Amino acid sequence: MKNISKIIFLENFFKLILKIATLIIIVIFLLMFYSLFERSMPSLMENGFYILFGSSWDPNIKLFGGAPAILGTIISSAIAIAFAFPISLSIAIFYTEYCPLRVRPIISEIMNLLAAIPSVIYGIWGLWTISPIIKLNFQEPIIASIGFIPLFSGPAYGLSIFLASLILTIMITPIIASISMDIFLKTPILLKEAMFALGATKWEVLRHVVIPFARRGILAATILGLGRALGETMAVTMVIGNSYIWPFQSISLFSPATTITSKIASEFPESVIDLMHNSSLMSLALILLLFSISISFITKFIEKGVKYR
Amino acid sequence: MNLRKIKNALIRITSTIVVVLITIPLLWIIFDVFIKGISVIGLEFLISLPAPIGEGGGIANAILGTLIINAMACAIGLPLGIATGIYLSEYSNDSTFSTFIRTIIYTLSGVPSIILGLFAFALIVIRIGHYTAIAAAFALSIIVIPIVAKATEEGMRAVSIEIREGAFALGLPKWIVVTKIILGVAKSSIITSSLLAFARISGETAPLLFTALFSYYWPRGINEPMASLQVLIYNYAMSGFEAWVIRAWGASLLLLLLVLFINILVRRISTR
Amino acid sequence: MYKLRVNGLSAWFQNKQVLFDIHLEFPEKKVIAIIGPSGCGKTTFLRCLNRMHELTPGARVEGKVILDGKDIYSEMDAMEVRRKIGMVFQKPNPFPHMSIYDNVVAGLKLMGIRDRKILDGIVERKLKEVGLWDEVCNDLKRSGAQLSGGQQQRLCIARALATEPEVLLMDEPTSSLDPASSARVEALIRVLKNNTTIVIVTHNIQQAARISDFTAFIYNGKLIEYGETKEIFESPKDPLTEKYITGRFG
Repeated sequence: MKNISKIIFLENFFKLILKIATLIIIVIFLLMFYSLFERSMPSLMENGFYILFGSSWDPNIKLFGGAPAILGTIISSAIAIAFAFPISLSIAIFYTEYCPLRVRPIISEIMNLLAAIPSVIYGIWGLWTISPIIKLNFQEPIIASIGFIPLFSGPAYGLSIFLASLILTIMITPIIASISMDIFLKTPILLKEAMFALGATKWEVLRHVVIPFARRGILAATILGLGRALGETMAVTMVIGNSYIWPFQSISLFSPATTITSKIASEFPESVIDLMHNSSLMSLALILLLFSISISFITKFIEKGVKYR
Repeated sequence: MNLRKIKNALIRITSTIVVVLITIPLLWIIFDVFIKGISVIGLEFLISLPAPIGEGGGIANAILGTLIINAMACAIGLPLGIATGIYLSEYSNDSTFSTFIRTIIYTLSGVPSIILGLFAFALIVIRIGHYTAIAAAFALSIIVIPIVAKATEEGMRAVSIEIREGAFALGLPKWIVVTKIILGVAKSSIITSSLLAFARISGETAPLLFTALFSYYWPRGINEPMASLQVLIYNYAMSGFEAWVIRAWGASLLLLLLVLFINILVRRISTR
Repeated sequence: MYKLRVNGLSAWFQNKQVLFDIHLEFPEKKVIAIIGPSGCGKTTFLRCLNRMHELTPGARVEGKVILDGKDIYSEMDAMEVRRKIGMVFQKPNPFPHMSIYDNVVAGLKLMGIRDRKILDGIVERKLKEVGLWDEVCNDLKRSGAQLSGGQQQRLCIARALATEPEVLLMDEPTSSLDPASSARVEALIRVLKNNTTIVIVTHNIQQAARISDFTAFIYNGKLIEYGETKEIFESPKDPLTEKYITGRFG
């Protein structure tokens, strides 16, 4: 047997290594804020609130207004959530109540695979396969019939904030759906059986027991999905058209637009030689980071509530 | 039939239709990538460097680049993630400090990957003065850490008190109990999460755009710009040249096969 | 000659005292049974004898446990104590990620003993000692978790014996086993006492009568009576003891 002092030394050494690893993670976290903030400073000092509210972006005349990108991010994500929420809920409803037991693994596998597909592949699919189809069979007929409504006015580009929202919907549905599926399954059997014993239909049990029980969890899952949509980069960059005309020159959902992430992804390489341009893109990133942090805190807060119930 | 039953039947039908509808994009993407990608995949495509448009060429440097960058990201991320998981599970006593670390890890897992790329750019690329695969690996490692840390902590916490006491009763020091017994029992969940993390970073593109950038040559060193499958797909797909777009589909097929293979494999392991 | 002496032992969980000032001596190479109704503190008492009690958060001990003249709390390191005083648990707990072979020598191998010949010898000797050798000698590489419950428990006894402990603590080692497996473990205990001092906690009064040389009756955290098993069972001095062993309560 090794002597005790050597064991104690190794014990402390091991603990020290673990402590150092956790400290490195804290340092990384803090450095992330610091680095982004540091690179954003020149632009924030120069542009002030224009980066938040300004509508023009022209590096040649040092105009850096981020509003179209920020609005593009928020609106495209909001539309995606509006679609993904009912879809996910339906999937979870089918999964817990209506689907045969042996089909369940297939559904969760579908959700897993949808979530696993890399976003750049959603991007190439959206850009080269979906965009022409949407343009021809969806946008053009709609513009022809109700194009007088500004929201649906032409011309049809294919690449648009509408297409971005559509792709985002497919990408965040598996996230919201799989969490909702898990939460639905956790409904106490006794509560459900009590309802069934009263002669309730499956939908009534869902409506009055399962969904109320899962409400907070579904809310957290939805906000989590929103976070994913806000930060999604590649797929959006490839299908949104990266144009600054939306929403100030055209509010049509069929118009090409931009988001914080697509603005950064498409302009960053060329911005490196121009500090103010680069710094302005970093400011947009900082805004996105603040969005994402807030979402983490909100979901954490909601989940805490779930635990105590 | 009364109204309640009709309502129930309606919900049953709608939810079934929605589930059928959501499988359409999944199958569509897989078939689409497969059909468009398979035509370009051949020996030359897999083993040679990119060539100018119209002269054939392949994507071998990008395949190699993705593997190198992933390996480096795992080399940084796995030890940090596993060590943090061990600390949280075995040494933290649920103090305020460990709540703080858990919050940080949870928050990191929600940070958009593009931000991690910009962070690596600001921290490493600017200081070094050129694009480098090291910065890419650093950015991706921040994606690996939360995945692995969470799985390690949960896997180790799941080890029963009986097993722990059995180990302590043999007179083993705590660090041996932790590394050889508890970690050993939790091994499979850690391996599973590492594989999933590998699959996840294989598909991440945004963190590479401002770090590893791209290269048309073989990797010459890790402190150089480096090609990757992901960035190649993005560049080629956005180029608009048919010959390149078709190569982007070919690269997508490889990437999709890798990611789906790992995901299906992992689920096979963990359900057994 | 006393192997182990317990001197004024008290124990707490958080602020709740569960053992009150226990004094006891264990003679060498005998089987000592600790009996008492569930929740009386007998398991806690056992866990104080090799410093396992202190692993529970908020647990605390006072008093002395003297092994061959040395107090295990103030004069020895916890790891050293646990090597000299081995333990077998209520539920068989083989390490599920290890083979049968590695389970037996876990305590040695993980402390740096790597000599294949030595380990091979110990595995064979200990598995023979617990009567498992014939059943498993052809698949020592198999996972220990695949054995039956009774086999697992004997494997755990072999594992505890591999570090050559001088005292073996057994916490209701047969309570999760079927009667046939229990009988095998009991027979094993009778053999083991040739080399080892054995302290066994049991809620099975007949078992205590069958296998032990001395019996201690603990009730509500206090030692009520201690003496030779024969005397305790034939002429208990304390009315509480008599009530318990005749099955009139608990």
